[in-house]
Amino acid sequence: MPVAERSRRLVVLVWLVAVIAAWELGAFLLADVFHDAMAASKLPFLHDIAATIAKNWPSLLEAAGVTFSKAAIGFGLGALFGYLLAVLMSVSRIAESIAFPYLIVSQMIPVLGLAPIIFTLVRDMNASRIVIAAYITFFPVAASTLSGFKSVDEEKRQLMRSYAATMPVLYLKLLVPFSVPYLFAGLKIAAPLSVTASILVDMLGSKNGIGVKLLYALYGGAKDIFWASVLTSAAMGVFSYLFIAQAEKVLVPWRKSLPSSAGGQSA
Amino acid sequence: MLINTPMFTATPVFDTAPEIEVKNVSMVYENSVGKEVDALTDVSIDIKKGEFVSLLGPSGCGKTTLLRIIADLLEPTSGSVRIAGRTPREARLKQKYGIVFQSPVLYDWRTIRNNVRLPLEMMKVAKEEQEKRVDKQLDLVGLGKFAGNYPYQLSGGMQQRVGIARALAIKPEFLLMDEPFSALDEFTREKLNEDLLRIWAKTGKTVVFVTHNISEAVFLSDRVFVLSPHPGRLSAIIDIDLPRPRSQETRESPEFFSLVSGIRKSFEGVYARRGKE
Repeated sequence: MPVAERSRRLVVLVWLVAVIAAWELGAFLLADVFHDAMAASKLPFLHDIAATIAKNWPSLLEAAGVTFSKAAIGFGLGALFGYLLAVLMSVSRIAESIAFPYLIVSQMIPVLGLAPIIFTLVRDMNASRIVIAAYITFFPVAASTLSGFKSVDEEKRQLMRSYAATMPVLYLKLLVPFSVPYLFAGLKIAAPLSVTASILVDMLGSKNGIGVKLLYALYGGAKDIFWASVLTSAAMGVFSYLFIAQAEKVLVPWRKSLPSSAGGQSA
Repeated sequence: MLINTPMFTATPVFDTAPEIEVKNVSMVYENSVGKEVDALTDVSIDIKKGEFVSLLGPSGCGKTTLLRIIADLLEPTSGSVRIAGRTPREARLKQKYGIVFQSPVLYDWRTIRNNVRLPLEMMKVAKEEQEKRVDKQLDLVGLGKFAGNYPYQLSGGMQQRVGIARALAIKPEFLLMDEPFSALDEFTREKLNEDLLRIWAKTGKTVVFVTHNISEAVFLSDRVFVLSPHPGRLSAIIDIDLPRPRSQETRESPEFFSLVSGIRKSFEGVYARRGKE
C-alpha cells in the first residue's frame, strides 16, 4: 500500500514537471526562436501567467467565487434530483421506461442552446447558472446510481429476502450503501462539467464571474488576464474533481485497497 | 430469551416427527429459449430434527433449487414443503433458518462485526444483546480478532466463516448451506468441514447441506440424499453410520472409502445409461 501510494505520487510529480517543462519550452520556441508576433496570445510563458495571477489574484478569486459557488449549488441540487430519479426508476420498471427516453433526449440538447432559453425564462443570472449546472449534473448521477442499484448481486438480494426485508429496509441496508461507489463515479464526471456549465452561463451577458473575465480579456486584448482566467477556470474544474475524489476516500473506507491486494491472507 | 443456554443437547437425539418434510415437489421452469426444463421431478424427503443431511449431485440435478424451495426463495411448481408444521414462507418470515450461500455474500461496506450484526439489526434485537451474540458467534468460528476488519482484508475461507457466524447469529432452528465451501481449495475445505462439525455438535441445529463433492457429503452427514440430473430426482438415500466425532482419521478409514466409492459407482451407472441413449 505505501509503495503503491508513493509510486502514484511519483507519477503525478513527473507529469506535472513534464507539462510545465513542455509548456515553457513551447513558449520559448514561439517567442524567441520563431519570433512569432502573436506568441504572447498563442502560448505565453507559464511564469508570466503565474505572475499575472499573483498580481490580480483578488479579482480573479472573486470572479471564480461567483461562478464556482453557483456551480456548487447547482451541482448539489442536480445530484439530489438525479439520485431521487435513480431511486424512482429502480423502484418502478414503468417509471424507468417512461423516464429513460426523456433522459437520453435531454442529453442531446446542447447546453449552449439551452442556456439562453433558461435565462429568458428565469431572467436571473445566478438562477440560470444554478439551473444549468444542475441540468448538467443530474444525468450522470442518475445513470450511474441506477446502474449501481442494478449491479447488486442476486445472492446479496436473496440474503435480504431470507430476512424478510421490506422495500425501505432493502434500500437502506443494501441498495444505497452498495451503490455509493457508483454514485461517486457519477459525481466525479459531473463536478467539472457543472463548473464548465456555470462558466458558459457567465458568457451569456453576465456582469461578473470568471467567464466574463475570459470574454472581456479575449476581446479586449488583455492577453495576460485571458490566460490567467483560463488557468483559474481549469483549476476550478480540477479542484471540484479532487474535492469529490477526496470525499469518496473518506466516505468509502471499504474500498481503500486496490482490488488486486484484496483477500491475500491465508485462512 | 434463552441467551446462554444451548437450545439442544450436544449429541443429536432425533425426534420422530420430521423437522423438514418435502412432499412430491416438482419444479419446472422456462429456460432462456422458452423451453421447459424439469429442474426437479417428484422429490420427497424427510429431515429429522438435529440431523445433518446433504443434498448431493452433479450440476443440473436440482439440489440448489430444492434448497431454495425450502428457504422460500423459490416456489415449487407442485408439491409441498412443511417445516416444523409451518410453510416455508412462515419459516422465512419468522427467521427460522439461517442461510449460507456459495459465495460469502458479505456486505463490503460493513466490518466483520457489522456483517454478523446485520440480521440482528433487522430483527430489532436490543443493542447489548446484539453485541453479545456477535461476540459469541465470532468466537465460535474463531474470528474474534478480525471483528473490526473489512471483508476484503480476509481470505475466502475466513469470509465464509463470517457467513456461517452471521447465519447462526439469529439463533435459527435450522441451517441451510448452498455449496458453502465449493469455491475454496481442498485444504481449506477439509479444515472448514471439521470446523462445521464442531459447531454443529455444539449447537445441535438441523443442517441441510448442498454439495457436489461426494467425500464432503459423506464426511459431514448423517444421511446423504443423492440426486441425479435431467430431470432432477432423488435417486438414493444413503445412511452414513460413521462414528462421531469425525476427524482426518475418518477420511482414511475403509468404511469411508467404501461409502464414497459406492456413491460414485451409483453415478457411473446413471451416466453409463445416459451414454447409450
